[in-house]
Amino acid sequence: MPAVQETIEQVRKIDVDQYKYGFETVIEMDKAPKGLSEDTIRFISAKKDEPEWMLEWRLSAYRRWLTLEEPTWARVDYPKIDFQDIHYYAAPKSTPGPTSLDEVDPELLKVYAKLGIPLREQEILAGVQKPAAAADDLDEANDNGAAPRRVAVDAVFDSVSVVTTFKKELAKAGVIFCSISEAIREHPELLKKYLGSVVPVSDNYYATLNSAVFTDGSFVFVPKGVRCPMELSTYFRINEKNTGQFERTLIIAEEGAYVSYLEGCTAPQRDENQLHAAVVELIALDDAEIKYSTVQNWYPGDKDGKGGIYNFVTKRGDCRGDRSKISWTQVETGSAITWKYPSCILRGDDSRGEFYSIAVSNGHQQVDSGTKMIHLGKNTSSRIISKGISAGKSNNTYRGQVSAHRKATNARNFTQCDSLLIGNDCGAHTVPYIEAKNATAQFEHEATTSKISEDQLFYVMQRGIPEEEAVALIVGGFVREVIQELPMEFAVEAQKLIGISLEGSVG
Amino acid sequence: MNMHAQPQRTHAETALIDAFVERFSYLPGNEAVIRRRDDAVERLKAGLPTRRVEAWHYTDLRRLLSTVPMHDPAVGAKPLPALLQGSTVLPVLNGVAAHAPRIDGVTVTRLEQKLMDGSVAQAMACDDAADVIAPLNAAFVTDGWFLDIGEGVAVDGPIELQNVQAGGQAHVRFPVRIGAGAKATIVERQSGNGDALVSSVSHLTVGEGAEIVWILLQEQPVGATQLGQFNAVLGKDAKLTLFVMNTGGKLVRQEIKVDAAGEGAVFNLRGVNLLTGDSHTDVTMVLDHSAPNTTSSEIIRNVVTGRARGVFQGQIRVDRLAQKTDAKMACNTLLLSDDGEFSAKPELEIFADDVACGHGATVTEIDRNHLFYLMARGVPEKEARGLLVKAFVAEVIEGLEDEPLIAALEAKLEAWFATNV
Repeated sequence: MPAVQETIEQVRKIDVDQYKYGFETVIEMDKAPKGLSEDTIRFISAKKDEPEWMLEWRLSAYRRWLTLEEPTWARVDYPKIDFQDIHYYAAPKSTPGPTSLDEVDPELLKVYAKLGIPLREQEILAGVQKPAAAADDLDEANDNGAAPRRVAVDAVFDSVSVVTTFKKELAKAGVIFCSISEAIREHPELLKKYLGSVVPVSDNYYATLNSAVFTDGSFVFVPKGVRCPMELSTYFRINEKNTGQFERTLIIAEEGAYVSYLEGCTAPQRDENQLHAAVVELIALDDAEIKYSTVQNWYPGDKDGKGGIYNFVTKRGDCRGDRSKISWTQVETGSAITWKYPSCILRGDDSRGEFYSIAVSNGHQQVDSGTKMIHLGKNTSSRIISKGISAGKSNNTYRGQVSAHRKATNARNFTQCDSLLIGNDCGAHTVPYIEAKNATAQFEHEATTSKISEDQLFYVMQRGIPEEEAVALIVGGFVREVIQELPMEFAVEAQKLIGISLEGSVG
Repeated sequence: MNMHAQPQRTHAETALIDAFVERFSYLPGNEAVIRRRDDAVERLKAGLPTRRVEAWHYTDLRRLLSTVPMHDPAVGAKPLPALLQGSTVLPVLNGVAAHAPRIDGVTVTRLEQKLMDGSVAQAMACDDAADVIAPLNAAFVTDGWFLDIGEGVAVDGPIELQNVQAGGQAHVRFPVRIGAGAKATIVERQSGNGDALVSSVSHLTVGEGAEIVWILLQEQPVGATQLGQFNAVLGKDAKLTLFVMNTGGKLVRQEIKVDAAGEGAVFNLRGVNLLTGDSHTDVTMVLDHSAPNTTSSEIIRNVVTGRARGVFQGQIRVDRLAQKTDAKMACNTLLLSDDGEFSAKPELEIFADDVACGHGATVTEIDRNHLFYLMARGVPEKEARGLLVKAFVAEVIEGLEDEPLIAALEAKLEAWFATNV
């Protein structure tokens, strides 16, 4: 069954030429010279005022990277990246480092206001875009009981974190939320213990590159037994030309802790391709839970496939403790190329991994995304729900791995991935790898035309609702399954996708 | 450091190249065939595939193919009794086709003859860089059968192609041309005794509206290596039903490459893999839907015991022209032992927007509720397990709609269960 009109229109609304965040801000920048060498790394490390051990860590990663070759197995196609033609560091000159909001360049604040990101602690991200003028209002609001939910934001602009909000209040609860650069200086013992423990330095080509040149990202530490009192969020913005953004994020939830973290990303509209190579590591100890959500909206390139961000990302969560849980939710609409597999290593007994994804590709976008669920502990379970929608001349691939190792007694997995094609110039692909080495493992993988059962359709139509509407209704509810996993604040951003129906989906 | 530097040749790689030097002067073929053989051996010199080659991800041939026995002209292989009554048996014994019986409406030619006159040279080309079985076979092929089934011929009784080995090495080929509107049932047997290395390549062109049932039985002894490749191109409204059963071998890779190239073509694949001991068995299918209104369905059932490792890779590719494609694939596995392994990679690659494609894959142990149901009715546990496993596999066989065939395959199944479960 082909896509219905409503779906086509919804996808059209988020087509590449409708990109809303493509504006560019002129801010005086402090940049590293173009090119990658040990000197570049020393430059970055010095700029960040890093201790010696961190520099050594970076340099050893760089030396390792020189021996690696770019991976070619993903179903994406792009001209060879010239790693010497990129600035590896770019920071607004006026920013003296993460500090109070009053010291931040008002131009920068305007950027975030324009993007609808609240940096004023009294502002609430409820999906409502504040007019730029609102940023001038500096009044602190009272935290009375009637206040809506609050979100702490770490704003990363090119290579630096501009500001992190609600830090003091979070500290009261024992939660550390700051930029990773600050964490390297302030909490070296935690960094030494956890950095690179989930994604090893030599994990893959881009992760190794990131280990050498990462510039900023967020650090979250939730101590034992603490439920993080508010949503944490990082907003990544690429602004400067010819730069690469190398984000590094590390989230640790100690025994019994809980944290929900969201990230958003946008970039200006440019003819050149820009590289975003991130590494995200999550660690959940006994009984801890981490919920990680992404709304990825990097500039996807124009109608003819010119420009756009190359998003080569390694995201991995380690359910290190028993009964721990890590859940990834992503809504992917941006980037020229996406190469991203948020994964869970289910090491602790009874641990659980989840992956919910909606990936919409348009124009000349290429998406190769999915997840890995590695079952190592006993009674571990995982669930994968993935929806891919391709339109225009795009290619959208789901690539996922589910494996149960010898000792993973009673491992359980349920995977469902559906895709929908709109038009005849795009492609949808499904490449699951299912590996069982334990007789008690129970794996189910499903990629079907449509999840709408005849019974459901009959039930709705029988009540006088025309078929197309009935289909839209059922599918709407079905997609909501993924959308609902997003924290409320981001669900609003993702709302425009809800209307997309998947009734004509192919596996 | 260059990660792609040519690594040192393994013992098996060296043995294959040496075998070619040694065997070259005995291999039949005109100049065109010799050129193909030379090209093919060049491909082998580049080395056997490792798991870094995506098509061989779960079967690291370079590591798994540890020994290559030399061709031994002295080993005596005997033809097998036919699977089905009334069959015409065409045996190839130790790489030599024996005699050519007459079949009404079918031209039967020894492949050796077609190698001598060069008429199979074209088909010996190997375009796919990841393909190893075709070049291996092209380099060493000695004999086989060529069948040409005439237009509109409904072949009387099944035709059984036998490839029987008693150790050593054998490389055979079965090109089959099926005329428009023809009908036939063809059984292919891969069997023998001893630790042989066998490669077998079939090429089918199925004409408009023709209907073919092809039964592939691989029953090699525990020490044998079987590398098979089944290729078919389906014409308009052609229908091919392929049944594959693997019950033996130490290292088995059976490739199935089908192109539903004619509008309205139908392809059905039913597979049963019964794995035991230390066997490594890989069934890899690549199915192209390249014309509109084509239909396919694949059901693969696997039972893994002992330390066996099973692999199923199934790739369905739907061309942008192939609107209204209906493709369904299922791969279900019963993993009965803690030392066994099963890996599945059911892939879809879709470029047309009005199609119905789906796949499902499961790996489980025996359903406890079913077991409980039977045991509650007084069936002892061992017997109940046996019943459930048999039912799991028999379901695939029962769909064949040919009573004598079903009975013959069920007998094979019984025999395997009697010795292995």
